[in-house]
Amino acid sequence: MDKVEFMRFWIFIPFIFLTLFLPFFLSQYWLHVMIISLFYVMMASSWNLIAGYTGQISFAHAAFAGVGAYVSGMLAVNMGIPAWLGILIGTSIAGLLGLGLGYLCIRMGGIYLSLTTLGFSEILRIIITNEDRWTRGTMGLQIPGFFIEYSKMSYYFLFLIVSAFFLWVIYRLIRSEMGLSFRAVLNDELAASSSGIDTIRVRILAFTISSAMAGMAGGLYGHYLMLITPDIPSLGQMFLVLAMAVIGGMGSFIGPILGAFVLEILSEYIRIYGEYHVLLFGLVALGMARFAPGGIMGLLEKRWRLREMS
Amino acid sequence: MAEFLMYLTNGLVMGVINAISAIGVSLVVGIMRVINFAHGELYIFAGYFSYHLSLTLGLSPILAMPLSVIFVFLMGVLMERFLIRPTYGDEMYSLIITFVLSIILQNSALLIFGPYPNKPPTLISGATSFFGLFHYGNQRLFSFIISIAILLSVFYLIKRTWFGKSVRAISQDREMASLMGIDHLKVNMLSFGLGAALAGAAGVIIAPIFPVTPTGSSAISLTAFVVVVLGGMGSLKGCVVGGLILGILENLGAAYISTMYRHIFGFIILILVLVFRPWGLFGQRT
Repeated sequence: MDKVEFMRFWIFIPFIFLTLFLPFFLSQYWLHVMIISLFYVMMASSWNLIAGYTGQISFAHAAFAGVGAYVSGMLAVNMGIPAWLGILIGTSIAGLLGLGLGYLCIRMGGIYLSLTTLGFSEILRIIITNEDRWTRGTMGLQIPGFFIEYSKMSYYFLFLIVSAFFLWVIYRLIRSEMGLSFRAVLNDELAASSSGIDTIRVRILAFTISSAMAGMAGGLYGHYLMLITPDIPSLGQMFLVLAMAVIGGMGSFIGPILGAFVLEILSEYIRIYGEYHVLLFGLVALGMARFAPGGIMGLLEKRWRLREMS
Repeated sequence: MAEFLMYLTNGLVMGVINAISAIGVSLVVGIMRVINFAHGELYIFAGYFSYHLSLTLGLSPILAMPLSVIFVFLMGVLMERFLIRPTYGDEMYSLIITFVLSIILQNSALLIFGPYPNKPPTLISGATSFFGLFHYGNQRLFSFIISIAILLSVFYLIKRTWFGKSVRAISQDREMASLMGIDHLKVNMLSFGLGAALAGAAGVIIAPIFPVTPTGSSAISLTAFVVVVLGGMGSLKGCVVGGLILGILENLGAAYISTMYRHIFGFIILILVLVFRPWGLFGQRT
């Protein structure tokens, strides 16, 4: 364990205590903010799995969350299927769609995946908005909650458990042999493929897992809000997830978690300025991508390494 | 029959405008391997520029149109110089940066120009009768003629001039081209500007027919991307053929199947191309 990893470890311990005990001291409003932040932790971390670790930019992550939310929501409303089962079905459908898009595009190169996922998310938004018999369009679809009795505390712990599970899966993946091949693909595609790594299969697999995770996150989010609208699969939402990963630090495990909390909490404070906050986040993300591609985590690590050297 | 011919003509007019916009994307992909996700926003900005130059400042539309295109060209040049150039060789960051830029421009357009569609004045009024079958707006015919003129000049620029030769050399082999003394930084910057200017040209041509709105920009980018993939990445001929195919299919589809799903036809084509012919109609199979 080198010094940087050691420090990371120590940051982690108080963090766990904080997440377990803090909610008992929070108001209902801040509890809500924490739940939403955890949703974004799931979204940004799973997007980072494909973007940060394999270098493929998907613009359909919010769309897959929309697939999870609407599949589960419509199953619950029309067929009375319980939320947990609906979410699992939504997750599988998001994963299958991810597999299909990934299979078609990834062999053609990263640009094709970005183009097609952008198209997919626009089309999904158009379908959801227009098929209002089923989805209630922009009015939003009211769906039952995950728990029979509504309590923000239960949702908080549900979201916390699922986020922890996602992070565990992502951590295991990037530390595994597969993770090694992820990074090999990112660093040097030619070298990786000539040393026997099936770069395309690795990328398709990562994309499928990441899409399924977005589906599950979206399903949970929908059953928490109990009102799902075409905003969930919108490009605005996609931008927010991307900005969280970029500002926190792409390709780092902690980065997107940090980004999700920072941006969600910040947006609560600057909400009064209305739509300007999207513009502000856009400018910050642009500055980060241009001058500090490692995000906040990249900057911190640079400092730690400098201090270690001096 | 007359109705069908009218939709077909609409499709042709949209098709050439699609082709102009798509060439703007294809040129940049061919040379720099960069997709500009802010393409639709540049198109929208040009539409708004021409509206404000002609209605707010009172310039003649004949002057306002090229001036708007020049503004957008400058935006493209600045984007390349300060945002894209540092990402050379890193495809991922160029995708992130242009996507973030598209969100920034879209939100700025909402703030600056407001959410309402703005329609610049038309140059010509009236309609021409086609063989006594149907009447067609003169403004649309005029747009069609300008679009053809732009397409011809772009082809001339790429096939016949020094700039075009450098562009083709770089798309074929970047290293070899720079060994031959081509300043690829300058060519990249100019091509990115030209790509933006073509988005702008499409925008100012369409705006008097269909007014532009800030929220319409992603659909515009997507149409251009579908045309580029359909025609084959980097192929200019592909953009023209692909643009016409998409223009005609979308207009016939909107007329006979469903207006709401106009953009879905494009996405279906994109998926079909990826399944059956991923290198596109005129692209090189690698």
